[in-house]
Amino acid sequence: MPQVKIVARNFMDMVASLPAVKLDMLYDNSFICEAILRSLPPLAKKYVLQLLYIDIPISAKSMEESVLPDGFSKHKVAIDRLIQLRVMTETFDRKKEAMYQLNPKFQFNLQKHIVHGGVLPREPMPSNITVRLPSLEELEAYAVEQWECFLLHLISSSEAGKTTNISSSMMKVFQRGLLSQRDEREPPRLTESGFQFLLMDTNAQLWYIIREYITNAEERGVDSADLIAFLLELSFHVTGKAYNTNTLTDIQRSITKDLSDLGLVKLQQGRKESWFIPTKLATNLSISLADTTSRKQGFIVIETNFRLYAYSTSKLHCEILRLFARVEYQLPNLIVGAITKESLYKAFQNGITAEQIISFLQQNAHPRVAERIPSVPENVTDQIRLWESDLNRVEMMPAHLYDEFPSRDVFEAACDFAREYGGLLWEDSKQMRIIVKADILTEMKEILRRQKQ
Amino acid sequence: MTPVSSKLYTDDVSLLMVLIDTNPYLWSSMKNTAFTFSKFLSHVLAFLNSILLLNQMNQVVVIATGYNSCDYVFDSSSSSMQRAECLLEKLEEFVDKDETLSQEDSVDGVGFSLLSGSLSMALCYIQRVFRTGPLHPQPRILCLHGSPDGPGQYVAVMNAIFSAQRSMVPIDSCVIGSQHSAFLQQASYITGGVYLKPQVSDGLFQYLSTVFATDLHSRAFLQLPRPVGVDFRASCFCHKNTIDMGYICSVCLSIFCKHHKKCSTCGSNFGEARKQDPSASGQRRKTPDGS
Repeated sequence: MPQVKIVARNFMDMVASLPAVKLDMLYDNSFICEAILRSLPPLAKKYVLQLLYIDIPISAKSMEESVLPDGFSKHKVAIDRLIQLRVMTETFDRKKEAMYQLNPKFQFNLQKHIVHGGVLPREPMPSNITVRLPSLEELEAYAVEQWECFLLHLISSSEAGKTTNISSSMMKVFQRGLLSQRDEREPPRLTESGFQFLLMDTNAQLWYIIREYITNAEERGVDSADLIAFLLELSFHVTGKAYNTNTLTDIQRSITKDLSDLGLVKLQQGRKESWFIPTKLATNLSISLADTTSRKQGFIVIETNFRLYAYSTSKLHCEILRLFARVEYQLPNLIVGAITKESLYKAFQNGITAEQIISFLQQNAHPRVAERIPSVPENVTDQIRLWESDLNRVEMMPAHLYDEFPSRDVFEAACDFAREYGGLLWEDSKQMRIIVKADILTEMKEILRRQKQ
Repeated sequence: MTPVSSKLYTDDVSLLMVLIDTNPYLWSSMKNTAFTFSKFLSHVLAFLNSILLLNQMNQVVVIATGYNSCDYVFDSSSSSMQRAECLLEKLEEFVDKDETLSQEDSVDGVGFSLLSGSLSMALCYIQRVFRTGPLHPQPRILCLHGSPDGPGQYVAVMNAIFSAQRSMVPIDSCVIGSQHSAFLQQASYITGGVYLKPQVSDGLFQYLSTVFATDLHSRAFLQLPRPVGVDFRASCFCHKNTIDMGYICSVCLSIFCKHHKKCSTCGSNFGEARKQDPSASGQRRKTPDGS
C-alpha cells in the first residue's frame, strides 16, 4: 500500500518553517501572538504564562525542577515547540548551561493583551445603520452551502448546480494533488489523496485548502506572512457582525473575495458601503490550529447488518458515501445504502484506508447513535478492517535478482553482505541465486566488483 | 475504543470558578499595607484574562464572597462579557448591596466572609455544567481568600468540600490574608488541589500564573507546591469553637465540646456511664482525617 497522506493540520509547522525575520514580523500583531499561544501544547502555554513577566533568562534547570519524571517527554515537546516557533529563545551562559527567554515582541504583545485587551483594527458596523443582517443560522447555512458547493466543484465541476466565482486557475491550484487527468478528453479522476481529503472533517479540509492558498500566495504576488496575518486576524472577528470593507487594504479586499467563495465570509453590499461578515468557518480558523474540531451534527446510522442510513439532503454527502458504500435509494432527506465487500474493495483500490472510513462513520454518527459506545457496531468496524487486511496479504517491494555467480565464494560473500545490511529477501544456495532489496543496489554492486578483482 | 466525542475537546479546556474575598472588614484592615484591594483586583484581572487567552473554550466564572452574601459577578460564557474587566461594574453593585445588608454596626476584628455560600454556589454551577452533556470543560475552583475562618460555617464548608471531592473537583486555595486558613487547607488536601500562601503578596500574579493557571491535564506532569502541614482541627457543633479534643456522637459523628445528654443533630440519647468516667470512653481524640 502506498502511504499517501494529506497532512492537514500542520499549519503551525508551516508557520514555524517561516524564516526567522518573517516570524518576528508576524509577532508584531498581537492577535497572531494570541493564536500562536492557543495552538501550543498545554504545558507550553503554562510556561509562556509563567515567564510572561520575567525579563531575565531563566535557566533550563530551574524549569525542569518542577517536572515529574512521567512528564519529562511532554516537557521536552513543549520546550522544543516554543523554540521552534521562536516564542522562546535558547541561549547559553558562561557555564554552557541552557537559558530560556521569551521573545521580547511576543512577550510585550501578550502583556499588553492581558492588561489592555486586544483591539481589532476595525469596528463592527454600528447598530444605528438599518441594514438587515443575516441571523447566525442563516449565516451558518450560507457557509455550509458555499463550502459544499466549492467541494462539489472541486471533485466534479459538472455535478455542481451553482457556479462559484473562484477563477479556474485558482481551482486548478486546489485540485492539484487531489485530482489527476490522464487525458484531455477524459474527465479528471480523484486521486488517493483526493478521496482521503473528502473523508476529512470540514476544519481539516478547510486547512488543506487554506494551506494551498497560502503556499500559492507568492505566485499571486501576495506576501504569505501578510496572508497568514490577515487570516489569523480574521479568526478573532465576531461571527455575524458586519465589518466595513473600507478598513481593508487592496490585497485584503481581494483575499476576502476569495474567502467569500469558500464560505468564510459573506459579502454584503450596502447602499454606499460594502461590508463583510465573518462566518463560523472563519472564526473557527484559530480553533483548528489546535487539534480541535468543532462539534457538528452527525447524520449517519449504521446497523449491524451493514445497512447505512444517512439523514442528509446534501449532494456532497451522497457523493462521499458513494466512495465506499453502495447507495441503494434516495429519499428527499434520506440516503439508504449498504456497505458491501465490493464497495469497500473499490474504496481500498482508490487508496482509502479502513481507518479513514471508520473514523468518518464515527465522526458523522447520528446523534441518536453517537450516544452509544461504540457508535458504529463493532462487527461492522471489524469486518471493514478484515476486508482491508485481505488485500494486504502480499507485500510488494522492489528487488533485484542475482544469479550466475562465478564461484561459490563470491555467492557466499554476497549473501553475507546482504544479510548484514538486512536486505536479503530470498536465497537459493543450490542454484546460487539471491534476491536482494533494491535499496542496497549500489552497495551490492560495489561488493561484487571487489569480489571480481 | 475511545468514543469520538472525547477527541472534540482538547485536554486543557478548563472551567475555572474563582471565589474572591470582598469582605470589607478584611480589606479595610489591610489599608495600611502595600497590598490594597485595587492592587489585588488588578492582579486577579490580569490572571483571569490570561486564562481566557490560553484557550478560547476556557470559561471563567467569578463569585464574590462578601460579608453577608455572595453572588456571581462574572461569567465568560455570556456573550456580553468577553474580558474580565466587565466584572468591575457588577462587583461594585455587589459590594454596595452587601453593605446595605449589614445590620450590626460593630464587628469584632476582621469578621468572616461567607465562604460556605460561595463554595456551594460554585459547586452548583459546576453541577449544572456537568449536566449539559458528556462534553464539558474540566472544572476547578480557586479560592482567593483572606478572611479568617468562620467557625459558624464549619459544617457547611465541610459538606461543600466533601461534595467537591465526590464530583472530583479540586479546590485550589490562595490565601492572601496574614494567617493560614484551616478550612482551605483541608479543602485543598481532601480534593487534591493546591494550597498556597504567597510569601510576597505584591507578586500575586506570578504565583497565580505559575501555580494556579496550571490546567488539570498538565498537573499530571508537574510538581506543584505541596502543603507543609494541614490543620485538621474541627469546630464543635454546639458553640462553633475550634477544638483539639471533644465528644463525638457515635451515631452521626457530630462533634461537641461538652458532654450532652442528647445529640442535637440526630437525637440519639447518650448513656449515663460516660458522664462518670469521661476520660475512658466519652472523650475521644479527634481522628486526623478531619471527618
